[in-house]
Amino acid sequence: MAVTREWSGHDVAAALEAAIPGAVAKADAVACFIKPERLIEAMHALRSGAGTDFVHLTNLCGVDYWDHFEVVYHIQSFVKNQICTIKVECWDRDKPSVPSVVPVWHGAWMQECEAYDLFGIRFEGHPNLHRILLWDGFPGWPLRKDFLSMPGGLQPGLNEFSGIARREAPPVRPVND
Amino acid sequence: MTDTIKSEPFVLNIGPQHPSTHGVFRIKATVDGEKVIDAEMVMGYLHRSMEKLAEERTYTQNIPFTDRTDYLSSMSNNLGYCLAVEKLAGIDVPDRGNAIRVIMAELQRLASHCMAVGAFTNDTGAWQTPVMWCFREREKILDLFEMTCGARLTCNYMRIGGVAFDLPAAFVPAARKLVQELPAFIDEMEALLVANEIFIARTVGVGVLTPEMATNASLSGPMLRGSGIAWDLRKADSYCGYDKYDFEIPIGYRGDSYDRFVVRLEEMRQSVKILKQALDGLPGGPHSTQVPLALRPPKGEAYARVEGPRGELGYYVVSDEGPSPHRFHIRPPSFINLSALKEMTVGGSVADAIVVLGSIDIVVGEIDR
Repeated sequence: MAVTREWSGHDVAAALEAAIPGAVAKADAVACFIKPERLIEAMHALRSGAGTDFVHLTNLCGVDYWDHFEVVYHIQSFVKNQICTIKVECWDRDKPSVPSVVPVWHGAWMQECEAYDLFGIRFEGHPNLHRILLWDGFPGWPLRKDFLSMPGGLQPGLNEFSGIARREAPPVRPVND
Repeated sequence: MTDTIKSEPFVLNIGPQHPSTHGVFRIKATVDGEKVIDAEMVMGYLHRSMEKLAEERTYTQNIPFTDRTDYLSSMSNNLGYCLAVEKLAGIDVPDRGNAIRVIMAELQRLASHCMAVGAFTNDTGAWQTPVMWCFREREKILDLFEMTCGARLTCNYMRIGGVAFDLPAAFVPAARKLVQELPAFIDEMEALLVANEIFIARTVGVGVLTPEMATNASLSGPMLRGSGIAWDLRKADSYCGYDKYDFEIPIGYRGDSYDRFVVRLEEMRQSVKILKQALDGLPGGPHSTQVPLALRPPKGEAYARVEGPRGELGYYVVSDEGPSPHRFHIRPPSFINLSALKEMTVGGSVADAIVVLGSIDIVVGEIDR
């Protein structure tokens, strides 16, 4: 039975440390966190160079953890049938910015536009970063956790599960950029 | 072409409301004469913010959203999402549930490829006859879905831990009958189109993608296989017990629109082959495991993917131990397959751009979500 081998973050970190010392910020069981300033270098190495051939960028998306953003990359190798998860943390909530991986994988082009459109994360070096799904004048970044506030302080959904406490939402911040 | 006759480049909007864009999708093509010199995609007309909505609903309540992304393959979308939540929560699916999922996913692939093949022939100028034949066969598959779950298009049939209900008694005989009829239909389509002079003239060498370009642009599914890369998640990462079935991965050699079409036709044959085996070996037992309605998976994240009709259909779900996902991300194959549209259309004629777009087989509900 063929199953894609999922690299743990520690495996990726070990492979990267050998090729590019100092690029890894931290690693856990799922993902390897790379320092933003070393991202392009590290991604080039993972694509070919660090004994790995992750030639296919499968998935790229942003996640909002209230106090910081993460950009998640799932990259895979066809020949070796492997997949791994790479993450980059971004702590500046007002002007989040991550280097663009379009020079490494052309397939990141549209997915980075989508992450910019919905989270407001700037991908530095992207050839044409624009709002891809929403229109240019759209106010705010809708997939941020602090985006949604309904009239009268209402919260959408889940009314039928009355015993379940809602997550506490922090006050809505003014949206810059 | 000589440069003796000067022409002024101008912008030609293909779409948003045009039959060849298969939905509400626009290509802003800059053309010089009839040659496309630049192409820009404009999308988002159908954006319904499903990823945001899903963050406020329970894991089970999100299943109907997945129907409405790629509305031509709702079963595959259900399956991808359920696999992601099962991976996150560590839920096992009984054998019968897995076999039913395989049957439904393959029927859905057949229905979706019927639509893809039919609409593509329409785009190349084989006006109406092939598409109506394809619709005729697709109707029979949708009848089977209706018999099983009451819906034809937005099935909402898969559940976390299995499927919503067991197959009705009449399903297996009806499916067997359909599986016997389908190869004759595929042969008929092949006889009509594969060696057709006009069809070949319109598609061979149009929108060529080398394997390197296809990989670099993150393509998947028939787009990738048409360029000669034998990558199929059913073989590579055999979910739902796909390793039990004997089938092959068809690939193309030139990477043009014609190859992508032939790959889809051949995949329909392979789906029929899988369906025969799955119907013969359908195990007994329960169709689903009991899962709490307000499921709270442990803190963590999961990325699960299936080989949908259009390519790798991935779901990335992050849990914060709440009743609804902290983050729900869809990796839509037809959105990412558009990454190479500019490379394929620039340098060709406007008519070739329509053929290239048809060969990608986009579903706008999935591009815009």
